[in-house]
Amino acid sequence: MKIGFIGLGIMGRPMALNLIKGGHQVTVWARRTESMQPLLEAGATGAANPAEAARGNELVISMVADAPDVAEVMRGVASAGESGLVAVDMSTIAPAAARQIGADLAAAGIDFVDAPVSGGEVGAIAGTLSIMAGGSDAGFARAKPAFECMGKNIVHVGTSGAGQVTKAANQIVTGMGVLAVAEAFAFAAKNGVDAGKVREALLGGFAYSKILENHGQRMLDRNFKPGFKSWMHEKDLNIVMQTAHELGLCLPGSAATAQMFNAMVGSGLGEEDSIAVLKLLERLSGQA
Amino acid sequence: MKLGFIGLGVMGRPMALHMHEAGHELAVWARRPESIGDLPARVCATPAELGRCCEVVFTVITSSADVEGVALGKDGLCDGMAPGSVLVDCSTIAPDTARHVAARLAEKGIHMLDAPVSGGVQGAIDATLAIMAGGEAEVLERVRPLLDCLGKRIVHVGPNGAGQVAKACNQMIMVAAIEAAAEAMRLAAASGVDCAKVRQALAGGSAASRVLDVMGERMVRRDFAAGIEARLHHKDFGLVLEAARRSAVPVPLAAAVGQQLNALMAQGWGRDDTSSLLRILEKS
Repeated sequence: MKIGFIGLGIMGRPMALNLIKGGHQVTVWARRTESMQPLLEAGATGAANPAEAARGNELVISMVADAPDVAEVMRGVASAGESGLVAVDMSTIAPAAARQIGADLAAAGIDFVDAPVSGGEVGAIAGTLSIMAGGSDAGFARAKPAFECMGKNIVHVGTSGAGQVTKAANQIVTGMGVLAVAEAFAFAAKNGVDAGKVREALLGGFAYSKILENHGQRMLDRNFKPGFKSWMHEKDLNIVMQTAHELGLCLPGSAATAQMFNAMVGSGLGEEDSIAVLKLLERLSGQA
Repeated sequence: MKLGFIGLGVMGRPMALHMHEAGHELAVWARRPESIGDLPARVCATPAELGRCCEVVFTVITSSADVEGVALGKDGLCDGMAPGSVLVDCSTIAPDTARHVAARLAEKGIHMLDAPVSGGVQGAIDATLAIMAGGEAEVLERVRPLLDCLGKRIVHVGPNGAGQVAKACNQMIMVAAIEAAAEAMRLAAASGVDCAKVRQALAGGSAASRVLDVMGERMVRRDFAAGIEARLHHKDFGLVLEAARRSAVPVPLAAAVGQQLNALMAQGWGRDDTSSLLRILEKS
């Protein structure tokens, strides 16, 4: 398939590379031209702007930072005048913003699919991302062969915005999950009990989770290298909290968790992995 | 003096009337012209037209976007107000928006004060509002005689935006206090103790507060008709939490209170008084 790919950061670069490996004809564009170089070497064609990345293609994919960036590149995509094109955004943005962008593109005859991912840089390189998509059946069907090059667990959740709602739900579970494991470990340590042994014991029971297993191990190793930076988790939880505010939805646990991540950003832990919330707990309780 | 007024809601209207009573000549613009009613004022077709004929313009409107639109939008105040004139924005909006609007007006030599108020509808009617001002001290001194018509306590907090920061702090403390009063009333009732007596007993001690007086009284009487519409506190908490996020300052209590407000909105009680937080506790 002929695919345009916009945004070649930590996530976008390996995702685009996997599309090339999958035999697709890929045109790339990135704001910083030097980040296009590795893709050009791998056989991609370079575009001068988002419109050019869309022109003549069946599918165009964006992987950028935030909602205003998505809106801007999609305005460029729309200006290419490729009616019948399917545009896919794989960034994490607010569901309301995704629905708005979808409506704007529909007016230009372009079908939009929001398809945020989970799995981080490791998943992007390995092509094992979880992809949660919102949009029409036809749009999803067009994008599916591309998704299959980038991810493993690919779910068409619902209509426009449903992918972003799913991603936000994912961030609620992972945000609170990381905090829960960190609190359990801080609790064990303050009681003079070995947190490593606690983890081992818990892994066999109902408290088992991937987060207890993987993030928990990294907490024990005190390996706070990202992974998933805590400022990004804060950004995602802010999407959750803003949406809850707009809808009139009571989310006390997410609100408390969002404030912990807010405190991490304010106290210099923003660039560390979100498991560094353990350090914040230790500071608060004089365990550091 | 020739004064402009935009925003003739429950707060703006009595404020405008005080100005009229003090002998000032009023011009108004309203998105909904019917809200002007019998107010003795010249009616303008656009904010720009109003700006052209006024030395000082007051705005008392709901959202950051509305203030930005009225000030900087098409046919906005910025297009009409003369250099040296003053915009006094009494709305509660984001500090960042206040700073941004002030900076844009300053390019044209127009002064701005952010001057949000506290004291509610009764305070507006009685002219006993607390006014927290951000902007240049000289500009505040120029309009102080006007603000004296509206309130008793007028404090220059700092430069542009500082008034809105003070208002955000005010809302954090006040609504958290309402939630605290509601939780206390709920605990008393659930323990089989008379809420009215508890409130009366507390009024003399360290927990005494204006919120416990006014909102506590409403909770005891179960009179949830607004005073201050809860939806406005809900809106303000959006501003508070966004400001905290931008400064990367944790506000765990405000965040928790914000969720109770979200629940209140979900019940459809946004037009009722914020003392309805008691009714949210009774849901669980």
